Amino acid sequence: MKLSTYNFLTSMAIKGVKVGYPLKLTINKKDVIESEFNPVFIERLLPKLDWSAVYGAAQVAELAEDIPAAQPENIAEDEQLLQRLHHLLFEIDVLEGQLECPETGRIFPIADGIPNMLLNEDEV
Amino acid sequence: METPHTEHLSSVDYEHVYEPAEDSFLLLDALESDLKFLDKLQPRLCVEIGSGSGIIITALAKHFAHTSICLATDINPRACNATKRTASRNGARLDSVRCNLAAALRRRSVDLLLFNPPYVVTSDEELHCQTLMSDQAANSATQRNLVYSWAGGRDGRRVIDILLEQLEDILSPSGVLYLLLLRENKPDEIIKQLANLKFKAVKYMERRIPGEYLYILKVTRDPD
Repeated sequence: MKLSTYNFLTSMAIKGVKVGYPLKLTINKKDVIESEFNPVFIERLLPKLDWSAVYGAAQVAELAEDIPAAQPENIAEDEQLLQRLHHLLFEIDVLEGQLECPETGRIFPIADGIPNMLLNEDEV
Repeated sequence: METPHTEHLSSVDYEHVYEPAEDSFLLLDALESDLKFLDKLQPRLCVEIGSGSGIIITALAKHFAHTSICLATDINPRACNATKRTASRNGARLDSVRCNLAAALRRRSVDLLLFNPPYVVTSDEELHCQTLMSDQAANSATQRNLVYSWAGGRDGRRVIDILLEQLEDILSPSGVLYLLLLRENKPDEIIKQLANLKFKAVKYMERRIPGEYLYILKVTRDPD
């Protein structure tokens, strides 16, 4: 699971959960896979991303020094930051770990790179 | 768009995961023929619900390489796994997420949504019976997953209707859905239902295959 995917995952579907975001991420095993850097795409993607989850992911991936805690303005002009965001969001692949619902503590395991977000019938 | 390689999937995989068939190829053909529209749309997040073998989302991930995030969901863990293998065999990058429909995704985030639903008309009794029977079988869970890949309940609409009700919460403001339907699913009724939900739906492509008549519905938000 790439950290760009993490940015879109929520536990909102659990009965009684109000926001369910951002999920608490734990990484036990990860891989780094190089991929082509497309600054235009990163820039276009930014309005769709939640910066708190971008920064949260950077902290867990031990890349917090690369990513500012608050989203800077004029990010498009900062090629170096775009490159760092690309690395964080598209080159780190979480193979084993877990996601935790911030409200209920429900754990969603990540195995073989696939997060299991499936809920039981009595949870929805 | 190239049709992805699938020779890495074997008959053993297809005991648990829906094998690409005419319906899958119709959905691929529809996307291919609408590429001009899709390239203009520039979807930032593409999602296929119930990706099965993964050929459709893999073809899309190849086309939109480095310009889009592609995600595949399925309730069947073997399908999630097969989808990842298909992507990797074809040099595409995407993520599989095991969940029901798009339940794990942030609201109104999906720019391009694909769904080849379980559309076969089955009586609720038959569906119950099928899942019950497979419960007694040794490999019950995976058998049940395979039943869920095709059994659609009354009018084949069991899952389709649930998705339609959730569509408002799934699609982004400029989002589009390509939905595969069977004539028995009553596409005209679905188009009306979508109009009531403030979506514009058109029969984008149709095809007669032995024993079935298939449609691709293209659904966008109604600007009016």
